[in-house]
Amino acid sequence: MDAAFSETPPMPPPVSPPRAFSLLRDRVPADMAARLVARIGGIEVGEPDPGEPGGFPAEPAVEAQLIDRADRDLIRAAFGRSPFLTVELGEGTDGPAALLDDWSAAPAAEHPCRPGFYLSLTTGSAYGLQCAVLVCDELARRGVLDPHRRSDMELCLHEAVVNAIVHGNLGLSSAAKGEPGGYRRFSEMMRARLGDPAMIRRRLDIFCRWDNRSITIAVLDQGGGFDAVLAAAGGGGTARSGRGFVFMRALASRVTVTDGGRCTILQFDR
Amino acid sequence: MEFKKTATAEATELSLSGRLEFTDHDALRDIIGIVEQSGGKRFVLNLADLAFIDSAGLGMLLILQEEVESHGGALAVRGAAGDVKRSIDLARIGEIITIED
Repeated sequence: MDAAFSETPPMPPPVSPPRAFSLLRDRVPADMAARLVARIGGIEVGEPDPGEPGGFPAEPAVEAQLIDRADRDLIRAAFGRSPFLTVELGEGTDGPAALLDDWSAAPAAEHPCRPGFYLSLTTGSAYGLQCAVLVCDELARRGVLDPHRRSDMELCLHEAVVNAIVHGNLGLSSAAKGEPGGYRRFSEMMRARLGDPAMIRRRLDIFCRWDNRSITIAVLDQGGGFDAVLAAAGGGGTARSGRGFVFMRALASRVTVTDGGRCTILQFDR
Repeated sequence: MEFKKTATAEATELSLSGRLEFTDHDALRDIIGIVEQSGGKRFVLNLADLAFIDSAGLGMLLILQEEVESHGGALAVRGAAGDVKRSIDLARIGEIITIED
């Protein structure tokens, strides 16, 4: 019996569907709500209402979809409910704890009424998810993305996401690729870092906002940052790396790097 | 990314399909293994069925060129179209690698 039992393939872990998490003002500590508002902008925290339970009106301040462990289908299902926030919690966390985590700061919204959405994933999940495809699919679903512009936007976003994952959160330099046989070393380092629980728990955040004139996408990581001037100057000739910025500069209307290299903002005129 | 190999007396051709991107370092290692076995023949990468290539994928093409040349062969890329051709043109890879229509 034991032998037969041991040959049974392990059951995959149960998949939890996305679940709604409305940050009701009467359920969220005021300081936490204020911090979220400060980060994503555009949502005002009302004055306490003595007639409401907990003192605040029972309308959601931020509509969120929470995913325990992200895959493409779960992200699409969450996006389909059109929340502002879609957040992968990652293993071993719960909703309130994740929301109290120190997310990378999204750039302050200059125009609070502009629509948008925010996707926050762990690096371990984002690595193989083709995030740029998912985000462009969602922009198209929301009627924001001109099909003729999609290809250029998807490549720019892909390059920004790759930089955030590989050079930001996984802390890998492309210098190894330039050495003889360096691709093997780079591949080994990549595999090692993807096995490091602390590194794969770092967050990759993608923040999209738009208006009639432009679409703005910010890609944020929690890595060590980089020298944006040096990075933007590379990628020519026979260099094995550095062409991501060549693509972004050529195809996006504007590219801005902030937060010491931890935030790349792509703007596309409409 | 997936690839299929066709070998003749004169050349080895690999037909790539899907997406060639930053997650494909293991596939690169497999292709370099084929280069090492091809013995200095002409080496052709057919990209007609490749849907997407990113900057890391272009870097892999350059690594392959160096590997092919170090084994006495010559690399050519053919069949690039659509988004793949756009990326190759933007990065001016044609100034470094032989691009055939």
